Amino acid sequence: MRKLAFFIPFVLFIGLSVFLFSGLFSDPMARESSVLNKPLPAFSLPDLQQPDNLWTAEKLKGKPYLLNVWGTWCVTCNAELAYLTELREQGVMIIGLYYQQPSDAAFGEVFNLTALQQEVKLKLEQQGDPYQWNILDKDRTLIFDLGVTGAPETFLIDTKGMIRYHHIGDINPQVWQQKLAAAYQSLQE
Amino acid sequence: MNPRRQKRLVAVTAFVLLLGGAIGAMLYALQQNIDLFYTPSQLIDGMGKDKVKPEIGQRLRIGGMVVKGSVRRAPDSLKVSFDLVDTGPIVTVEYEGILPDLFREGQGIVAQGVLVDATTILASEVLAKHDEEYMPPEVAEAMKGIKHVPPSQLYKESDKGQQP
Amino acid sequence: MIAEYGQLALTFAFCVSLALAVVPLYGSFKGNQIALELGNPLAYALFFLTAFSFWALSYAFWANDFTVVYVASNSNSLLPWYYRLTAVWGGHEGSMLLWLLVLAGWTAAVALFSRSLPLQFQGRILGVMGLIAVGFYAFVLFMSNPFMLSLPYYPVDGRDLNPLLQDFGMIIHPPMLYMGYVGFAVSFAFAIAALMGGKFDSTWARWARPWTLAAWMFLTLGIMLGSWWAYAELGWGGWWFWDPVENASFMPWLVGTALIHSLAVTEKRGTFKSWTVLLAIGAFSLSLLGAFLVRSGVLVSVHSFAADPDRGLYLLAFLLVVVGGSLLLYAIRMNSVRSQARYELFSREVLLWGNNIFLLTATLVVLLGTLFPLVHKELGLGSISIGEPFFNQLFYYLVIPFSLLLGLGPWVRWKQQQVQPLLKPMSLVAIATLILALGTMAATQSIQANLALLGLLLGAWVGSSAIFELLQRLQQFGSITQGLTKLNASHFGMTLAHIGFAVLVVGVAMTKTYSVETQVRMKAGDQVELAGYQFKLVEVYDLKGPNYSGEAAELDVSYQGDYVTHLHAEKRFYPVQRSVMTEAAVHARLSRDLYVALGESLSEDSWALSLYVKPFVRWIWLGGLLMSLGGLIALCDKRYRRRTASLDQKDKADA
Repeated sequence: MRKLAFFIPFVLFIGLSVFLFSGLFSDPMARESSVLNKPLPAFSLPDLQQPDNLWTAEKLKGKPYLLNVWGTWCVTCNAELAYLTELREQGVMIIGLYYQQPSDAAFGEVFNLTALQQEVKLKLEQQGDPYQWNILDKDRTLIFDLGVTGAPETFLIDTKGMIRYHHIGDINPQVWQQKLAAAYQSLQE
Repeated sequence: MNPRRQKRLVAVTAFVLLLGGAIGAMLYALQQNIDLFYTPSQLIDGMGKDKVKPEIGQRLRIGGMVVKGSVRRAPDSLKVSFDLVDTGPIVTVEYEGILPDLFREGQGIVAQGVLVDATTILASEVLAKHDEEYMPPEVAEAMKGIKHVPPSQLYKESDKGQQP
Repeated sequence: MIAEYGQLALTFAFCVSLALAVVPLYGSFKGNQIALELGNPLAYALFFLTAFSFWALSYAFWANDFTVVYVASNSNSLLPWYYRLTAVWGGHEGSMLLWLLVLAGWTAAVALFSRSLPLQFQGRILGVMGLIAVGFYAFVLFMSNPFMLSLPYYPVDGRDLNPLLQDFGMIIHPPMLYMGYVGFAVSFAFAIAALMGGKFDSTWARWARPWTLAAWMFLTLGIMLGSWWAYAELGWGGWWFWDPVENASFMPWLVGTALIHSLAVTEKRGTFKSWTVLLAIGAFSLSLLGAFLVRSGVLVSVHSFAADPDRGLYLLAFLLVVVGGSLLLYAIRMNSVRSQARYELFSREVLLWGNNIFLLTATLVVLLGTLFPLVHKELGLGSISIGEPFFNQLFYYLVIPFSLLLGLGPWVRWKQQQVQPLLKPMSLVAIATLILALGTMAATQSIQANLALLGLLLGAWVGSSAIFELLQRLQQFGSITQGLTKLNASHFGMTLAHIGFAVLVVGVAMTKTYSVETQVRMKAGDQVELAGYQFKLVEVYDLKGPNYSGEAAELDVSYQGDYVTHLHAEKRFYPVQRSVMTEAAVHARLSRDLYVALGESLSEDSWALSLYVKPFVRWIWLGGLLMSLGGLIALCDKRYRRRTASLDQKDKADA
């Protein structure tokens, strides 16, 4: 009895570590996406580099593609550019949905389209350009409807414009292989 | 039983009773002070498999995005109300007091308060959170702090780099 | 270039820590004299290499070397030089380097000050310190390297230091806190060294006491500064939030407090042996657990560094090895240990046992409140948060019996105390308590049965008991003046620390009960009354600082028509970090604080303002300060400085 009592702290600690361990791997971002298996919400937004060109949900139908929410301000997005570019070279169609942070008057920020176009162009030249084109969501309306809570996030859209997968966080080889590659391939057929 | 043993038994019993009482009190107090976290759609449609909805009068926390143009201030006091949304239904939050420094329309916030009717929360505390960006570890490691270098300064910078 | 040298020094330091973990331990088990004697030079080398590495990072900050990723993330060329230097520990990587510096510092100090210990025992202590060091150096070097460079594309300017951290409190808060956390590694190393030897007389407790006391003193100071920093910087008059990060520092403190009391019993009476060892392991384990919770992102908190599962996994593995390993060693080695000493029910031993029970229950409360949300979520029951009332409520219940015991404790003798001789002094203390508490209530407020009265009663009980006991003790030396020179420093230290606790209790109770606050909408010229003070908003104007812009409000405060003070509150916008800071205006007196925070601009000419009057809030930090000062005085005790074997024998006779 007495001998075993000295093992109590050890046992309690091991019990605690199990929870700490599982806590480490439970994804705080994980929750059911409510846009899954629904059509892409209706929108009409300009092309980032050719603002006269308006994109709508209708126009995007026809081929399966990845809709990647990103921004130059977002460090993680910049890091995934290289791998996304690799995917583009393998023939994956990727469309960028540019996430513009709200211009905060308190910090003396004003929205300037030309400067943004320059910035995006330079960034993509430096880090790789995975995008067929970029859609500018200046007021974050489509982003809102898609339930995006941060950047980067990526949606897999099928030929009929239905959302098939919603990935939160960056896309790296592991994520692509495990979560997206098979789904994308099946949509191809 | 000899007196020493008896004394020991009393001590051990007292200890166990005390410990049991303390843990009981702790768990009771814990139960009284749990605030569940909801998103607006969970609040309206219910949470989890059983679609459990919170009861009116329940203390809870709610997190969502402030709907653009929904912030309404009283002209003569610090009363304010605004709408929160995540992906579907809209929930109204009423609050009296100073909003946090980072409170902006279109940004994510968390409010702590009491549910006053099915879609309204009377908040006692509003917290702004900044979750616009995820930082997977390797990426954050490699890229942290690298700001975009304007082209006009590229030349100057590479010059400096050679003579640290 | 300097950064590369820093990296190099850190790599060497890692190699040295490997040697330190292996060589002296090998020597201690094989009886190899040379290996044992290598321990000291290795400890010094570890310290100097780490210090150089830390200097290199500080230099990179000083020189605005933005090729270093960590500097670019946490500094900016516009940042004033003193904040550039404190930015060194403003982020995860740098604060880990500071942690290493502190660890190496304690290791070198152990090498320096315990030369008179048996060589075998000293070698084991250094070996255990080395083992801990290997874990942390590897963590910094491979998972959180502050010297990482971002060539060839490096930024023109840095992202700036989080404005919350641009404050004097922040300059000294983390170093103090780390001195405390890591200091418990020394107590831990002593306990493990004793476990390895398997010999449990009271000597290890005597050797470990000053180290534990020093760590406890720093931790007390660190927590106090943290509370003060939060009060000054977060802008809503709170001084303790039960935030996971605060809890992470509070738990080792509670166990450390239990440990310094339990060590006294083990040293003086030779009992509580297994208990004391467990506490020594526990204090450091909770420090490690704190590091894990804060740095792994398991718990989301305002203070959390960037969440990172890999780092978390590493730290968890490290935690498992260190804590799991030591608890297993404890379980195996402790079987055979028996206490010989006997004591009666009413004795100092039992009262200190009570002290330990209450402190551990408090630790359990904090642990439960901190980890329960995690457990709840992992069981699939949804995300929750634990409300502040949970902690407050349970701490009220705990503080009452704890304070009653604390007032009694110093009067009671070891082994056995007769009730009769205590009746007279204790009733004197009780009378003094009533007079003090009711007198204060009557003088400042009306007498009401409330939390404030309870706090005053408890505080006065603990405080007057401590003072009476000191006076009585001094008189035993003949006269008080004679006593002042003869009584040992640790007794003065204890008395002062207990008075500090009394002051803290009074401060908390009074602040909790009588603080008033209001949030108002004001225009220039408006006047608002709060607790008898008239706050008049004179003007609000724009502001320009080196790395921020903002608004400032000027207020005049008067009390019943008499001018009291002028207050200047600011709201600052830091463009680089895109964040807003509230710089509260505080007018501090011992009896009350006036606290004003400027809120948002509501329209052209009106602003939201928070006004607070907080009676006795200073007493909270004063209490903490007195407690750590008590620790410092106790540390100056001559007994801890005489170290030769013969004098150790004499000590035993004295005790």
